[in-house]
Amino acid sequence: MKRSRTTSVSNKAVLTIMALIVLTYFLFVAVPIVAVFLQLQPSQVNAQLHDSTVLDAIKLSLYTSAIATIIVFVLTVPSAYFMATRKFPGKAIIDTIIDLPIVLPPAVAGVALLYAFAPKGLLGPILNSLNITIPGYTIAVVIAEAFVASPFLLRSAKTGFEGMDKDVLNSARILDGSRLRVFFKVSLPLAIRAITSGTMMSWARAMGEFGATLMFAGNLPGITTTMPLAIYSLIYSTTPQLGLTLSIILIVISFTVLILIKLLEQNRFGAKK
Amino acid sequence: MIKIDSVTKAFSQKKIIDKLSLEVQPNEILSLLGPNGCGKTTLLNLISGLARQDSGNIYIDGELVSGEANGKKIHLNPSERKIGYVFQSVSLFPHMRVQDNVAYGLKAMHLPKEEVKKRTEQLLDFVGMLEHAKFYPSQLSGGQKQRVALARSLATEPQVLLLDEPVSAVDPQLRESFRLELKNYLRKLDMTVIYVTHNLSEAFVMSDRIAVMGNGCVEQIGSGQEIFDKPASRYVAGFLGINSFKGKAVNIEEGFLVVEAYDKRILARAASDLAGRKVVLTLKPEDIVLLKATDSLPIGKGENSVTGAISEMIQMRSTAQVTIDAGFTLKARISLNRIKQIGLSVGDKVQVCFNADSINVFADEDN
Repeated sequence: MKRSRTTSVSNKAVLTIMALIVLTYFLFVAVPIVAVFLQLQPSQVNAQLHDSTVLDAIKLSLYTSAIATIIVFVLTVPSAYFMATRKFPGKAIIDTIIDLPIVLPPAVAGVALLYAFAPKGLLGPILNSLNITIPGYTIAVVIAEAFVASPFLLRSAKTGFEGMDKDVLNSARILDGSRLRVFFKVSLPLAIRAITSGTMMSWARAMGEFGATLMFAGNLPGITTTMPLAIYSLIYSTTPQLGLTLSIILIVISFTVLILIKLLEQNRFGAKK
Repeated sequence: MIKIDSVTKAFSQKKIIDKLSLEVQPNEILSLLGPNGCGKTTLLNLISGLARQDSGNIYIDGELVSGEANGKKIHLNPSERKIGYVFQSVSLFPHMRVQDNVAYGLKAMHLPKEEVKKRTEQLLDFVGMLEHAKFYPSQLSGGQKQRVALARSLATEPQVLLLDEPVSAVDPQLRESFRLELKNYLRKLDMTVIYVTHNLSEAFVMSDRIAVMGNGCVEQIGSGQEIFDKPASRYVAGFLGINSFKGKAVNIEEGFLVVEAYDKRILARAASDLAGRKVVLTLKPEDIVLLKATDSLPIGKGENSVTGAISEMIQMRSTAQVTIDAGFTLKARISLNRIKQIGLSVGDKVQVCFNADSINVFADEDN
């Protein structure tokens, strides 16, 4: 009896300590976000949305991140399927290299892109001969965003394809000789949730890209100044409230993407009658 | 209809199928029976083309579908082999309704829409799932899913149907009724079927012939009764739960083969050419009668009686499996009523009685 009371007290103490740790961690994440929101009234945010600097940054970010996401989708989904369903020599090395942008410091990613695509970079002679200059142009923003965002979709899609029931795929292969149709009718729908959440994560990452863009594309208003770059410029300027407005927008976007991913994960095939 | 000619398949240098040869007749239902991991599913995958053998040839309806002919390697794609395959796990497309699952193969054949609709309805009607046509797989029971999987596999009008333990995906309490349903469908289909199972009674119920697999090859093939009455090896006997023990055939006495086994003298009805050879004897647990050691026994012609002690008794619903140590181990299946009647318990000395006709004898190939 005495022992069970002691155990009960110690269990309660452990639970209390754990709850305090969770609360501390939650506040650690939530307080800075709340602090941003407390700086501006909703009416101020609304008013600053009409500022040309803010509008240009939003437009550029939406445009470049959308293109980057499309490029990432086209390149990574088939790659993920291939990686998930095939064995080939050097697979582990390729797998590691294409994951690299996840852990690479963004500034290093920018440097790497410069040394690849700048006029004096690795691909410089080819690009020069085609009269193509990338750094300092909007295309550089797209490349930087696609570079850092691609592993998010690749990882997610690969996990989705790897999780496919092999018997389901084999059933399709027996009924249907066309690999392409099996891919579009069976494999893709089976992995669609993983692909969709990966796409959203990639897009959110592209929207928030800063370091690589700054290094590779520069900070040219209307051309390469995306929302994060505009925040960087504005927050130390005489109009920091514009930077705060952009920050609030990015926080809302990030929050919405996470909520959508969670909703997507809860959805199950055939849940509806 | 199906001919498997000396096929070998290894995974990581371990031979799962080893020079296996097998022929399945047209419209025959053949069960592949064997323990888990003996290569049954691998063999189905080789026949279907989902896996490729290391050597040997596979023919379907006289056509080489995988192997080598005149120095040329051939491996038809699964969709080119005219086979239907029902997998052990429920392999329906989870994102498609029942009707779309069944129609998938028909659409792949580029049939006109009306034809696809008509045949889908016919197939769903055949398996009694027409009213569930608009359901998703997640809304069906295990048995219903397998019925849809059967309908889907039949959609492309295969010549051969491969079924890989289809009953195992069904809830345990519904397996018996699903088994009978499935048997009913298969009889109506009148097509060549290979049915994989590790369940002896299922193989008995479902098939015309049974091929017992072990050690990467077919250990024995025949009707269920043939295999059960005359297992051809100790492996088969062991898998079927039949007693087997070694002995030496001494001579023929009054038409019975006399076998000495563990200092016991056992009479068997067997071919005289076994006399003088080392042999294996098999005896079904059901053919054993137990008496108390103290009971007087009227020994008739061809009756065997050996003494032993009960070492274990496992009670089941209406019978018990009684293990007797008679110098060698014998398992008997005795009704609970009988056990109660004569008052048997572990440790009791008993007489183990069995008729010479119930003994199956074959030469011991290991010696």
